[in-house]
Amino acid sequence: MEPLAGLLTGFGVILTVENLYLCFLGSLIGTLVGVLPGVGPLAALALLLPVTFTLSPVGGMVMLASIFYGAMYGGSTTSILLNIPGEAASVVTCIDGHQMAKQGRAGAALGIAAIGSFVAGTLGVIVMTFFAPAIAAVAIRFGPPENFALMVLGVVCTLFMITHSPVKGALMIALGFLTATIGIDVVNGRERFTFGSVDLSAGIELLAVVIGLFGVTEILSNVEAVVRSTVVDERIRGLWPTLADWRASWVPMLRGSGLGFFLGLVPGGGPVTASFMSYAVEKRVSAHPERFGKGAIEGVAGPESANNAAVAGSIIPVLSLGIPGNPVTALLLGALVIQGIQPGPLFITQRPDLFWGIVASMYVGNVFLLLLNLPLVGLWAQLLRIPYRVLFPLVLLLSVVGTYSANKNVFDLWVMLGFGLAGYVLQKLKYDLAPFIIAFVLAPLLEQSLRQSLAMSPDGAMIFMQRPATALMLFSSAGLIALMFRRRSNPRGESS
Amino acid sequence: MKKPMIVFALLAAFLAAFLFALSAGPAGAQEARAKLARVKPKDFPTAPIEYTVVYPPGGGMDVTARLLAKHVEKWSGDRIIVNNRTGGAGMVGHAYLATQAKPDGYTVGVIANLMWGDAMLRAQNRWAYTDLEPIGYLNSDALTWVGPTEGPYKGMSIREIVALAKEKPATMRAATVPGSMWDYVLDQVEASAGAKFLRVPFQGGGAGINALAGGNVDIAQGFYSEFRGLADAGKVAPIAVASSERMSFLKDTPTMNEALGSNEYLWNVIRFVVVPKGTPADRKAYLRATIETAMKDPELVAEYVKAGVYFDPKLTDPARMEANLNEYAEREREFYRKTGRLK
Repeated sequence: MEPLAGLLTGFGVILTVENLYLCFLGSLIGTLVGVLPGVGPLAALALLLPVTFTLSPVGGMVMLASIFYGAMYGGSTTSILLNIPGEAASVVTCIDGHQMAKQGRAGAALGIAAIGSFVAGTLGVIVMTFFAPAIAAVAIRFGPPENFALMVLGVVCTLFMITHSPVKGALMIALGFLTATIGIDVVNGRERFTFGSVDLSAGIELLAVVIGLFGVTEILSNVEAVVRSTVVDERIRGLWPTLADWRASWVPMLRGSGLGFFLGLVPGGGPVTASFMSYAVEKRVSAHPERFGKGAIEGVAGPESANNAAVAGSIIPVLSLGIPGNPVTALLLGALVIQGIQPGPLFITQRPDLFWGIVASMYVGNVFLLLLNLPLVGLWAQLLRIPYRVLFPLVLLLSVVGTYSANKNVFDLWVMLGFGLAGYVLQKLKYDLAPFIIAFVLAPLLEQSLRQSLAMSPDGAMIFMQRPATALMLFSSAGLIALMFRRRSNPRGESS
Repeated sequence: MKKPMIVFALLAAFLAAFLFALSAGPAGAQEARAKLARVKPKDFPTAPIEYTVVYPPGGGMDVTARLLAKHVEKWSGDRIIVNNRTGGAGMVGHAYLATQAKPDGYTVGVIANLMWGDAMLRAQNRWAYTDLEPIGYLNSDALTWVGPTEGPYKGMSIREIVALAKEKPATMRAATVPGSMWDYVLDQVEASAGAKFLRVPFQGGGAGINALAGGNVDIAQGFYSEFRGLADAGKVAPIAVASSERMSFLKDTPTMNEALGSNEYLWNVIRFVVVPKGTPADRKAYLRATIETAMKDPELVAEYVKAGVYFDPKLTDPARMEANLNEYAEREREFYRKTGRLK
């Protein structure tokens, strides 16, 4: 079916009161899920999965998908306002978003985040409309060696761009890798660093680490500053992005969209990786990298676009191949299977109503989300006026509930607390926390793809040179490392 | 389209489903409900029953459990919550069910025979498979070898594949899931044919099948539900099933035993329901009855069949289910002993 004819079919399916209602409901739930720290899209989808049994397949998928991308809209809110990520894909938004809030520009940051999400979400669906089958055919060729090279590039980018000091950055990356090895070995299932503990054998939960390192750390550092009574000392200046903000943001939005879409497509990628990589790229290409970390709006626009585009990207392999690349899309697949529908390469031709209905709903959902989120900007910004002594106990409570609800495991709460304390000490010693998280997120996939690549190669490590895309990415990484050494020896370059 | 009509129809459908769940339902169902009511303890359940699934939401195990929950709710009227306790490839959830969960009837495990391997090889004698008592059999999935539809190995039978892996050892890339039946089948084939594969580790059967479709491995193994979509589109092709008989939905695919002239290739996932040892007998009997009733519902059976599973005749009879499951478990233990995995 031609894309435009297909899209028309899709709108025909979606423009009914019930489907529009479900799309709106999903957007609303998604926004809430994104705003609340701890409760992520995965937990929300798992909870709501049984509800979709009673809905039509289209209605159920429309609702679940809109929760997924809705969470990307809401996730930035607490990152910007409180320096506490609403979900893992918004960790990086804390860095500059919260600085903007402290300067009284929370409105601009929230506005750009919402608009960036809309732009990226819509661009993602447009690409999906016209190229889904073609893209899926390429994405499936992406094998372990390509994945490995991509992960290496990601780690090198992080090291190169985010950190103030390469040595401290490398140390944090190494710590992230080490922490990620705790638990069951991803390749052969043996326990590592678990010391016989059942809790440790499950590994360290990402959510608990994120909330600990960012949420709890932030609360601890703020408790110190007793003099300040609210988050923002200054008056809240203008709720909307200024013309200068727009000029600075539109290119990062487009870049973030492209990057995010690509990272959503590849197996193991997704919104979390996308937002980190986008931040790294924005800082790299910026003419004034020293502004990053001090309230650069590009540092909000890029990642917030990237995580939304990644959602569109990651839905493509599920619908056009039946292949989920991350846990949330695996749940979307499960929702279809429960309805007795098995997506695969024939899905688009066999069930055009479903495929195009979902695509059409994503256009509609993004509009809903923009309309839902923009008016909230003013309201959220007022939240900053709440005194610390009221706000932070509430946030701590939310963090505890959110962390516990993910696995219903008390051990995760200790992990959260432990990482909160560690984060506080590390921050005092001027260590960046973001490289730790990105290494922690990438490590399992990096290790797995390296070991898979070596296992599938009769010529050992030569496999990385035999595949052009892999070789290119590895050479780029090597180039970046060389540049880093040059920058070290040239003090003028070390401005950040 | 007439929107108000659709809304009305939807509301009516909801109402009907709701009433159906509450009331006695169709006439033929009366008897089944009455039977359930007879074995129901007075003080149980007073709270929702929790079905523990040890694998992530959305996977085959999760779908199986949620479909079961839906139908048990329909027949018993009890509230059921499906809870995914994941981690360590199922180890965390299995250990929870066997050692931490309260045996009060509110914790029910919807698990697979992969639990046996965890208990025998990885539990370090902290728990045994007998700590979880089976109360109902659900369905089975046979491990199937899947080959490519392009490239040099296209269209080869399993005999030819194995012969080639012997002739040119360690050139053919086979996807596997380390420390599980995926690996054991490869062990068996390599040992009996003197062949050697390059084993590429993946986290699950589905990931290996995808790698096969992308040309990154040459052979993969998986379950029907995992490769059906790609096979229908001609991207991969099933070549042999590790079961005792051919599958009804894969009539043209030989069993590994008939193709390779053996009787040792029997690997499948058996999904069943357990309660922790020590659960009061009356509650256990009631839970068992709820599952038996749901499994008699043709609607649930149809949904399972649609998901691409089969029913093992040795387990569908509730009276023999437990004994036969234990026999399978002991056969597995024997395999571990023979191959030196278990001392």
